[in-house]
Amino acid sequence: MVLTVAALLACYAPALRGMFEQWRTDEDMSHGFLVPFVILWVIWRERERWRALPAQPNWWGGALLALAAILHFAGALGVGLFAESLAFLISVAGAVLCLGGFSWLRALAFPFILALFMLPKLALVYNQATLPLQLLASRVAAGMLTVAGIGVIREGNILDVGGHRVAVVEACNGIRYLLSLGFMGVVFGYLFDSRSGMWAVRLTLLAAAIPIAIVANAARVAAAGWMPALDSGFPHELSGWLIFVLCLAVLLITRQLLNRMYVLNRS
Amino acid sequence: MNKLTAVLFWLTCSLSLKAQITLGSTVDTFGVLAGSTVTSSGPTAVLGNLGVSPGSAVTGFPPGQVIGTIHAADAFAGTAQTQLTTAYNAAAGAPSSATVSGDLGGLTFFPGVYTSSTSLAITGTVTLNALGNPNAQFIFQMGSTLTTAVGSTVVLTNGAQASNVFWQVGSSATLGTSSFFSGNILALVSISLGTGAALQGRALARNGAVTLLSNTINTPAGSGGPPPLATPAPSSLILVTTALLGIAIYQGRKRIFQSFRT
Repeated sequence: MVLTVAALLACYAPALRGMFEQWRTDEDMSHGFLVPFVILWVIWRERERWRALPAQPNWWGGALLALAAILHFAGALGVGLFAESLAFLISVAGAVLCLGGFSWLRALAFPFILALFMLPKLALVYNQATLPLQLLASRVAAGMLTVAGIGVIREGNILDVGGHRVAVVEACNGIRYLLSLGFMGVVFGYLFDSRSGMWAVRLTLLAAAIPIAIVANAARVAAAGWMPALDSGFPHELSGWLIFVLCLAVLLITRQLLNRMYVLNRS
Repeated sequence: MNKLTAVLFWLTCSLSLKAQITLGSTVDTFGVLAGSTVTSSGPTAVLGNLGVSPGSAVTGFPPGQVIGTIHAADAFAGTAQTQLTTAYNAAAGAPSSATVSGDLGGLTFFPGVYTSSTSLAITGTVTLNALGNPNAQFIFQMGSTLTTAVGSTVVLTNGAQASNVFWQVGSSATLGTSSFFSGNILALVSISLGTGAALQGRALARNGAVTLLSNTINTPAGSGGPPPLATPAPSSLILVTTALLGIAIYQGRKRIFQSFRT
C-alpha cells in the first residue's frame, strides 16, 4: 500500500504540482486546497465500513492503470494539466481496484466524486462558458435592478446605474459560487441524506445549487451596481460572503423540502 | 536581488514608455474590426461591436452572436479604421525599451515596449505583470507575424489590464486552438483565431480579414478614461471554508446538546 502511494506520487508529481499551482494562483479553484482534507475526513469517518470489507484484488485495475498512463502521456505531450490530473484520479481508482477489488472501489466512490472538484479547469469548456456566464449574470442583475425600480443601462457585460458603472468581468462570472456551492451540495447530500435510495435527493440538491449560484451571483453584482459603497474593497468582499451564506441557507432549506417530499412519497 | 533587478528593469521600461497609447473612442467599442472581411464559423460570441471597412463582407452571424452592433462599410467602421491606423502607427513608433525574439512562452514581462524585428511566437504561458499599476501599458512590436500555440495563455497579473496591452503585428496574427489571449491585436494584414480560442481584448486588422472559429471575444473597457469597476466574488477558498466551518459548528452543537441531555 505504502509503495503504491509512493509510486503514484512520484509518477504524478508534475501533475500534482500543477494542480497545487492552480489552487494557489486561481481564486476560482482555491477551494482545491480543502478538498483533500474533506476526502481524508470522509475516509476516516467511514473507516469501520471499509475495514470490514475483504480485499479481493481485481486485475481490471491494471486496465485502469494502463488507461491512466496513456492519458498521462497525452497530457505530457501537450493535451494539458486537466488530462494529467484526471489520469492521476484514474490511477488511484486503478490502484484501489488492484489492491482491494470492486467492493473497495464502491466504498470509496464518494471520495472520488469529491476529488472531481479539485481537478483543474478544463480550458476548452471554461473558455466557452465564461462569456455566456458573464452575460447571464449581467442580464439577471440588470433585471433585478429594473424590477426593484432602479434605472439601469446594460451594455454587454457593463451595467450603468445612474453613471456608476460596474463590469461583470471574468472573475465575476459566478464560477466561484457555482463550484463552491456545488461542492457543498455534494457534502450536504453525503452528511444529511446518506440513507440508501436517496440518490435522487442528492442529485436534485446538486442540480439546485446551479440556479441558486447563478441568482446569488447576479444579486451580488446588482448590489455592487446599486450601492457604490459595495463595489470594492472590504464591503464588496463582505457582501459577496454574506450572499454566499444566504445561498447555503437556501440550499439547506431546499434539502429539507426535498427530504420531506421523499419521506411523504415513501409513506 | 531578483526583485531589485526586476524593479530596475521596470523603471527603465517605464521611463522609455513616455507616451500612453490610446485606441480612440470609436475603435474602443469594437471587439472585431477588419479591412476586407469578417468570417466566422460555429458559435462565436463577440462582446462589443463588430465591423469591417473598407470591405463589407461579414459572414457567420448567426450562428455567431454579436453583443453589440455590426458595422459593415459604414461611416462608424470607417472612423474606427482611421483611429486604428493612428493607434497602429503610435504603437509601431513607440521607443523600444527591450528587444525580444522567438518564443515568449514561459517569460514574464513588466510594463514597457518590447520589439522584435521579425516574428514572435507564444507557447505555454506568458505573464504580463503590471506591478500594481492598472494604467501600466505593454506594447509588443513585431516586424512580421504573431503566432500562438495550441492551449497557450497570456496571463495578466498585478493589475494589468487587457485594454492596456497592445500587440502591433507587422503582418498577420494567428491564435492557436483553445488558446487564451489578452490584449489588443493591431495587425497590418489579417487575424485568425483557432477553434475555441478566447480573446480578452480586440482583434483589429487594418487591411485584411478576421477569421473566427467558435471563439469568444470579450472586449474590455476602453483604453482611455477610467474603466468600470470589476466586481469579483470572494475566492472559493473563503466560501468553502465558511461552509465547512458552519457544518463543523452545527455538528459540534448537536454533540454538545446530546451530551447535556445524557
